[in-house]
Amino acid sequence: MDSPLGGGPGFNEQDLAKLSDRDKQELTQFVQNESQKARIQSAIHNLTDTCFRKCVTSKISSRDLDKYEQPCMQNCVDRWMDANNVIMKELQALQRN
Amino acid sequence: MSAYASGDPKTQVMRQIQQEAAMQNAKMLVEKLNEHCFERCVPKPSTSLSKGEETCFSNCLQKYMTAWNTVSQQYITAIQKNSSSSQF
Repeated sequence: MDSPLGGGPGFNEQDLAKLSDRDKQELTQFVQNESQKARIQSAIHNLTDTCFRKCVTSKISSRDLDKYEQPCMQNCVDRWMDANNVIMKELQALQRN
Repeated sequence: MSAYASGDPKTQVMRQIQQEAAMQNAKMLVEKLNEHCFERCVPKPSTSLSKGEETCFSNCLQKYMTAWNTVSQQYITAIQKNSSSSQF
């Protein structure tokens, strides 16, 4: 595997080659977990972007989400998930036919 | 963080990955904050930021971050509910 970290500072390849199998396994698991975290965070960024556009439409005059914006953001996330599920189902149905 | 106080290559790699992930996350947030708040608070750029625009910006930053946290909570709750039915 190529170094996923490019020429970043800190450690060198020789050190990595010396890792025990157990350490390597632990690292692989760690990278998988971090990748999943990164994917989730990225989804949250995209969702916040989309839902902010839809829910925060009036003049921005306070720092808190108001009583309309707050539930709108929550509904926006849930409906986005619903929509996603509908699409997945449709695609699966298409695949079967 | 201090649990990884330098030392062996494994923890070094872990620390570096976490730092880069945090950096990536922060970068994304800053980008979105700027995009949304500039759009909303500075509709017609003039020769300098007005007091009103600055106030709007500061409100907008807070509001967006609150929105981010709300979405984060809601999304994570939703995928946890969904994970039993094998989504994601």
